[in-house]
Amino acid sequence: MLEDDDFLLASPPRVARSRMTRFAALAMVACCAIFVLMITGARAETRLAGLVRPNDVNSGSLLLPSKEPGFFVEAPRLKTDVTIDVDGPILRAKVTQRFENPTEGWVEGTYVFPLPEDSAVDRLKMQIGERLIEGKIEPRAKAREIYEQAKAKGQKTALLEQQRPNIFTNQVANIGPGETVVVQIEYQETVHMSDGAFSFRFPMVVAPRYNPDPIVQTVDFAGGRGFAVTNPVPDREKIGAPVLDPRENAKINPVSLTINLAAGFPIGEVKTPYHEMSESDHADGSRTYRLKADTVPADRDFAMEWTSASGATPSAGLFRQVVDGKTYLMAFLTPPSAEGAERPPREVIFVIDNSGSMAGESIRQAREALALAISRLSSRDRFNVIRFDDTFDSFFSGLVPATPDRREQAIARVRKLDAEGGTEMLPALKAALEDQGKMADGALRQVIFLTDGAIGNESQLFETIARDRGQARLFTVGIGSAPNSFFMSRAAEIGRGTFTHVGSETELGEKMKALFSKLENPAMRDVAASFDGGISGDIAPDPIPDLYYGEPVVLTASLPGDITEGAIRLTGEIAGQPWRAELPLDHAAAAEGIGKLWARRAIADLEIERFSASDPEALDRKIEALALDHHLVSRLTSLVAVDVTPSRPNDEALGSAKLPLNLPAGWDFDAVFGEAPGAQPSPPLQKAQGGAVQRMAMADTRMIAAAPSPEAAEMTAASASLTTGVVLPQTATLAKRDMMIGLLIILFAAMLFVATRMLWGTYAPDTDSRRR
Amino acid sequence: MPRTRVAGGNPAGPSRVRRSLALVAPAWVSRPFALAIILIALAGFVLVCKGLYVHAKAMLGQHLLETSFARGIGAETAARPWPWADFTTEARLTARRLGRSEIVLSDAGGEALAFGPALLGGTARPGDEGTAVIAAHRDTHFRWLRDIRPGDLLDVALRDGGAATFVVREARIARADASGIDPDRPGRWIALATCWPFDAAERGPLRYIVEAELADETAATTEVAVIGSPGTPTNGIQPSVALR
Repeated sequence: MLEDDDFLLASPPRVARSRMTRFAALAMVACCAIFVLMITGARAETRLAGLVRPNDVNSGSLLLPSKEPGFFVEAPRLKTDVTIDVDGPILRAKVTQRFENPTEGWVEGTYVFPLPEDSAVDRLKMQIGERLIEGKIEPRAKAREIYEQAKAKGQKTALLEQQRPNIFTNQVANIGPGETVVVQIEYQETVHMSDGAFSFRFPMVVAPRYNPDPIVQTVDFAGGRGFAVTNPVPDREKIGAPVLDPRENAKINPVSLTINLAAGFPIGEVKTPYHEMSESDHADGSRTYRLKADTVPADRDFAMEWTSASGATPSAGLFRQVVDGKTYLMAFLTPPSAEGAERPPREVIFVIDNSGSMAGESIRQAREALALAISRLSSRDRFNVIRFDDTFDSFFSGLVPATPDRREQAIARVRKLDAEGGTEMLPALKAALEDQGKMADGALRQVIFLTDGAIGNESQLFETIARDRGQARLFTVGIGSAPNSFFMSRAAEIGRGTFTHVGSETELGEKMKALFSKLENPAMRDVAASFDGGISGDIAPDPIPDLYYGEPVVLTASLPGDITEGAIRLTGEIAGQPWRAELPLDHAAAAEGIGKLWARRAIADLEIERFSASDPEALDRKIEALALDHHLVSRLTSLVAVDVTPSRPNDEALGSAKLPLNLPAGWDFDAVFGEAPGAQPSPPLQKAQGGAVQRMAMADTRMIAAAPSPEAAEMTAASASLTTGVVLPQTATLAKRDMMIGLLIILFAAMLFVATRMLWGTYAPDTDSRRR
Repeated sequence: MPRTRVAGGNPAGPSRVRRSLALVAPAWVSRPFALAIILIALAGFVLVCKGLYVHAKAMLGQHLLETSFARGIGAETAARPWPWADFTTEARLTARRLGRSEIVLSDAGGEALAFGPALLGGTARPGDEGTAVIAAHRDTHFRWLRDIRPGDLLDVALRDGGAATFVVREARIARADASGIDPDRPGRWIALATCWPFDAAERGPLRYIVEAELADETAATTEVAVIGSPGTPTNGIQPSVALR
């Protein structure tokens, strides 16, 4: 009571104290806030604004070299038009995109576009202004030479090259100021078949061209729409979409889509999960689909899935095409799922590398992947875990049933693994392949190998795998940013399994889940194909991989001469029972594009073979010949187009472009960024109304190199051709950050100490009186 | 001050810390508070030590590697600096003008980088046709990379007794996964790579890459000629200009 009274009758010293209290409390809050701010501030990632690298691009885009070496500016895209013709098992896509050169000079641009991995690119057309140029197939070096010559002469020219199996670049030289460029690419691929449904995907996700950007953050966004000024998102897939307002986006990057679907059988249900489509039927049973809204923003991939009308989806198909006197075949067959057959029990042996080279990020990822794998085992499965550095240990003395107890025990041990010591892989591999006892009847043995593959005795390891694999399948999981992919893909191939590369933590979960759910659902093994009835030819792929649930066998074959007799015979083993099927050639339906499909797959097989070939140049010649015969772009062949009439005046250098002084309407740098782009003062207010996206585009445009010299163009090509680009390791320690945070924490503790002192000091007399 | 007197009357608090806190607060608050503050301070201290440890390891590591490298010169098989190491000493890299010298290890990745710069697997051997890539931490062994200028000479002495001198041509900044380094580049090159920006505290995706070409005999002896040579590209090392 006394204290309360005292408090109410705030005497002068009390007032001073309560002020001190407030001050002290404020000081405490402030130092907490500063602390939090400093910690989060340290997180900010360095990033170059408004620019993209060829690797960032995940839909077709025209890149112009920027002032930053290795970085590019994306030319504003005007419109994309896509026509996809589905004819039976083959899909042919025609992608037309229009671009504009926004600069005042002659530029050379690089057009980067991703495609599905197995697509065969065979046609390039380019319309520059009024001219239409069609690409011709040439060996890669020759094509480049033709291109460089034409470029030097001032002719409009285009060069389409494969950089990786799924990344293509197209260079265009001598685009005039303000000219519109139309690029048309055609490619074909097979329709995907799985679980009785047919489907395809068309990649059209917008490149992350507008990254949140330090310059942007200084601008007042009160009136601007469409900006999400957030911290840069590490997940690249997600960058593009949230930054742009869909309405704005549709204007700057609209896509119109037409799909002509001739499935080859009565169509049942058709699903397009991400887009609304309108449908029109034709007399011949085919259908045409168009987007309900005329155009859509390119913010998600397009997907389409269809089934047959009766519900009984055809489980087999055989198609043929005769090209240049050769017969090409494409066959698919979905094996019957063994009705009521239980999933066979699995015997899984995990091998994890905890040598010193795995230290840091790699071992964390490996531990997490392994824990996930163990937790997914069922109690009918048996398993063992082997860890190795320069020594190795088995967690159990042999395969043990995966009871919940054992799983937990193993996971707990995995979580404790530290990376140190040397790498002696051979004894561990031998232990995994040889010392795990006899395989139980009907079981499935899978060896899952997690490593970065930093080893020297590769051939010895390959020998061991080939000799000892028996019925086991070896699946390699490459961990870290620079795993030895050659070793791991080859090891998986010899071990008749697959190689999965996990580059970063973000993709770990997804990739591992896909791998494990596949491993859990085996359908058929030891698949082989041969010709029957006195005919012979090549069949790809060879050997045919194991099948997992819902997957069909898909084969392509080539035969000399026009052949309509005989059959393809398939054999395999389903749940311990032999399986056999025959596809008679006289029932094959004629279809377009089978030859190209065969060539694409044959090339892919040769590329794998090249890894281990003693004479890779002979294989290179084979690949080149195949690609030239079939008019395909490959690692060794490119499409090149040259316009015969020179369009660039001789006295104007290519790339002598000045910065864009003459801005398109509504684009004003001054109004937005408060910095004059050149000698042109313009009424700022009216321009400021322009769409936020356009302002950003303007910022991008300003970044275009003043002089895209031949060197810059080479740089474009060099950065784009990253097939062999070395991936660099993490070379920053956290020492500085740790010390900074440490000092901050000590400072915080000191401030807290002082603040408490003051705070308690204020109340001390009160407590005194209570005490008394 | 009255509270001093109050505290003086408080018999509890034999330890110095307790007494000092007891100066400001009664016993029932002082204990958890003192404990919390001490714990926070301790956590900070541990972090500082952790940071210092990285630098200590880097310095001590180089010292140990120096002896191991000297011992290993001309030896048949690569020497492991200590029995449980997962790397071997491969070369000595010297930046002449800066007077810096580092022992280069065999396997960049994992723990090797804590002790010294390391060769990247899958790239050429220094002095051979192609590009040899050497990576190291920006805050320890490659701290001096920012001071490298075009025309600087880099000496590489190999374990097998071979030696080569390289002339720095250019530097650039690229993403780790899009370095643009071609291991099969025509000519004989080395690329030194470290994280960029140099003074950042956080890890980031960008790397600073210095590329140097094997010098011919004359270039190695007459340094001046190299610096002024027309072969030096204009986009030389000017981080402040080339980058924002």
